Amino acid sequence: MPSLALFLASWLTSPLAIVIALSVVIGLLMIVLFGYTSDQKAIAIAKDQLKAHLLAVRLYRDQLHVVMGSYGKVLRGTGRYLKLAFKPLLYVIIPITLMIVWLDRSLGLTAIQANTPFLLTARVNNADALDNISIDLPPGITASAPPVHVAADNEVVWRLVASQDGAYDVKIKTATGAEGVNKTVRVTSQLAQLSPERLRDHFWERMFSSGESALPANSVVESIAVNYPERNIPLGVAGYEMNWIWLFFILSMIAGFIFKELLGIEV
Amino acid sequence: MTRPCRAGALGRVSESNSKLWLRKSFACPSARTIWVLLLLAVVLSPSAAHAYAGPGAGFAVLSSFWAIFVAFLYSFYALMTWPFRQLFRFLRRRNAYGKATFERAVILGFDGMDPELAERFMSEGRLPNLSKLRDKGTFSKLRTTFPAISPVAWSTFLTGVNPGKHNIYDFLACDRNHYLPYLSSAEIRGPKRHIKIGKYSIPFGKTEIKAMRKGTPFWHWLGKAGIFSSVIRVPVTFPPEKFQGVLLSGMCVPDLKGSQGTFCLCTTRAAGDKFREGGVRAPVERKNGVCHSYVPGPDSPIAEAAGQELRVAYEIKPDVAAQTARLTVGSEKFTLKVGEYSEWIPIEFKAGMGFNAHGICRFYLKEVSPEVEVYVTPVNIDPGHPDLPISHPVTYSIYLAKLYGAFATLGLAEDTWALNEHVLDDDAFLMQAYGNHEDREKMLFDALDKTRQGLCTCVFDTTDRIQHMFWRYLEEDHPAARDVPKAERREVIQDLYQRMDKLIGRVMEKIDDDTLLMVISDHGFKSFARCMNLNAWLHQNGYLALKDGKTESGDWFEDVDWSRTRAYTMGLNGLYLNLKGREKQGTVDPSEAEALKEEIKQKLDGLVDPSSGTVGITGVFVTENVYRGPYAENAPDILVGYGAGYRASWDSVMGKVTTQIFEDNMKAWSGDHCIDPRLVPGVLFSSHKFVTAKPAIVDVAPTILKLFGIALPSHFDGKPWDLAPRALTTKTPAVTPAT
Repeated sequence: MPSLALFLASWLTSPLAIVIALSVVIGLLMIVLFGYTSDQKAIAIAKDQLKAHLLAVRLYRDQLHVVMGSYGKVLRGTGRYLKLAFKPLLYVIIPITLMIVWLDRSLGLTAIQANTPFLLTARVNNADALDNISIDLPPGITASAPPVHVAADNEVVWRLVASQDGAYDVKIKTATGAEGVNKTVRVTSQLAQLSPERLRDHFWERMFSSGESALPANSVVESIAVNYPERNIPLGVAGYEMNWIWLFFILSMIAGFIFKELLGIEV
Repeated sequence: MTRPCRAGALGRVSESNSKLWLRKSFACPSARTIWVLLLLAVVLSPSAAHAYAGPGAGFAVLSSFWAIFVAFLYSFYALMTWPFRQLFRFLRRRNAYGKATFERAVILGFDGMDPELAERFMSEGRLPNLSKLRDKGTFSKLRTTFPAISPVAWSTFLTGVNPGKHNIYDFLACDRNHYLPYLSSAEIRGPKRHIKIGKYSIPFGKTEIKAMRKGTPFWHWLGKAGIFSSVIRVPVTFPPEKFQGVLLSGMCVPDLKGSQGTFCLCTTRAAGDKFREGGVRAPVERKNGVCHSYVPGPDSPIAEAAGQELRVAYEIKPDVAAQTARLTVGSEKFTLKVGEYSEWIPIEFKAGMGFNAHGICRFYLKEVSPEVEVYVTPVNIDPGHPDLPISHPVTYSIYLAKLYGAFATLGLAEDTWALNEHVLDDDAFLMQAYGNHEDREKMLFDALDKTRQGLCTCVFDTTDRIQHMFWRYLEEDHPAARDVPKAERREVIQDLYQRMDKLIGRVMEKIDDDTLLMVISDHGFKSFARCMNLNAWLHQNGYLALKDGKTESGDWFEDVDWSRTRAYTMGLNGLYLNLKGREKQGTVDPSEAEALKEEIKQKLDGLVDPSSGTVGITGVFVTENVYRGPYAENAPDILVGYGAGYRASWDSVMGKVTTQIFEDNMKAWSGDHCIDPRLVPGVLFSSHKFVTAKPAIVDVAPTILKLFGIALPSHFDGKPWDLAPRALTTKTPAVTPAT
């Protein structure tokens, strides 16, 4: 029994269980929100009209003017239907996009594993700065190879290894005595909020792909990136794996379909 | 008159606070700027993770693409195969329209349109479009059938034969074994086999619907020649039969209870007498300001004991100050004002074990204070989810329901019984009748648009129902309107004819020179001021006997002594001999039948109403002299032709013997046509002139076949009309509508 409880506890905190739970909850929330924010009557009519024009093509298949006219009406009806679906889309697109971005930082990438080498790349704004660049490693992280300068891209790449789990601040200095800029590296075997890149400027990119504050505007360092590996969630069936976003898409659609039927919401 | 709630207030009448907040925040300019910026940001910064915006939008996008894809496939298939199908048809039948005089024939049927009234209103200048048809084409009386009853006449219209060949003699036919009526047009039988599981008896197999009307509709012959037909609401087309075209069944389609229309009055008033005709009463129970009632449905198909009615409960929240009520029926919530109808509300009766029946009905709020009363229309078969086939193909009713919304499918959809029983008033009845009429107009114009070649025919019942119910206002001293002050008598029938004239005008706008337009009716109309109980006459003249000590019978011959009865009547015009070997308790020897019929005929013909000295019966017809065909033996033995102003009494129709033979008709149902057929011919208008002396409804089918160049079947009784030479040679331009 204890082993079953342990299995259940570990499964319930697994990425698969989290994605399933999220899909069901979000499927329900989005369907309810769609129901509230859409003109349900108009959507029902638009869908019915679409079906009617499709049926007309079958009923009057020997009458070309009806077939072609109905096809035109299907196209127009589809436009009307999408227009009606667009209004609720306005309400849900921002919260769901922000939520997906936030979730993607946990579920889209895998944290660095202890004793596994990883790469940290710093890009500077001029090739001259590459000569003076250095790294301050916190206790627990060591360099496993000398840095590689990629002059063509104004980049320096370090190959590092962490000896144990933790959140480490790695400091990049561009001149002797300069204060330098930090980049957090997460080392864990658990789910964690990850920021694969710290950026200077690039507001929208930072919004969508970085979870850290901007690098100082006067810094010569433009970005510091850690190559967190992408996460594929094992489905437990014949060794299949899937990116969380696809799994979320499929499961939330199924959940949405079930809830729309149960709640009588027209989509 | 329009339906007040047709396009509106179902669903959510008031919006929730959250929805208002969202709307307000989006409407505020500064907030709008922020929303727009955020949206732009999302839209302009695409990545795989951001493309998905939840299941709602996901469904919208997926189903849109699916719709386009399916439509494309259908259209592509239709386009690619069209030449081959045309070639195949050409090889089989040559050119279907090669011998046709017209590309298209449009037949508008107005049930009960009366030639005398039409002529009167035309002379008063009220019917400009019918006047144009009369002046440029044809206007004539159209001889009807014996008897002049809609299912009989329309069956003759569509088959081109006399009733002896199509087997319809009335709405009801007589079960000679039990002296009970059954529906003459169709028989619906549940599955024969049942499997018993616990308290349930599960039906095993299909429901059988047997058409009782015989003969072949003329659109079958058109279809065989490759000519397409759209047939809408022509009576006695249930169950629908296969042919090349589309058809929506009309009169004789039952409601979900299997009856010809059972309304329900839900009321907090104490139970009074049962309605004489057509309705049931359901109690409304009040609790803490909320009322509860139910819609009665069909019997459970799986209950072991028969007669276990399925019901759908609903809730009424009356608001006395606003004179409204909020109704909750399943997932549907809507608010009605007093005197307002709901839209068609879908109703699902659940029997258990997955057996459900789908119907639609409308709710009419009669009163919220001091009592609460809601009238519910008969539960119609849902055209979008038909549990019984009401169209050919089955998808045609679904197509119409998707295109225009739910519509009345019941054969006799206008609830005349509810007006008769004072459950509805004049306005509520007219609102209902014209609401149904508007739906049928939409169907007609859709069919006209889709059927540019071939036959397009549609029958409107509104003319019949409104004349039945409002004839009382046409006459100075109709017994049913004696209490109504003259100032309050409305010109309902004049208005009806003018509405139909406008409809004809709109149809004329849609037709061209190659289209023949015919406007016909199955019979005319006369007053129904006096009732005659023919069973009472038979009783008083020694042909029908009651059990000892009885002076009256109950409905359906309760307390009739069949061992001493020689003749009886049920239905509107038919009189039956109690014949040995045919009736279960027959007393009349077949050898005496002729003499007995002649004796009754002699006595009844010219029978005078003693109170007024008017002839109540102007013709008595022995049916063997009237009908020819294989089903003539199913006909009544004698048809009774009442005089103008008379008709069979309500009791007589239901097999009841009373003490009085003649009495006033006090019901709103004040006009009728079930009288001497010679007194109530129908109308014939056409856009092109026909040369014919005495056109009859039986001639329509052969005329249409001839105009499409199709050889007439030999069993036809009707004779085709000839077009006037000018129309034939020059193809006179179709009449244009009057402005």
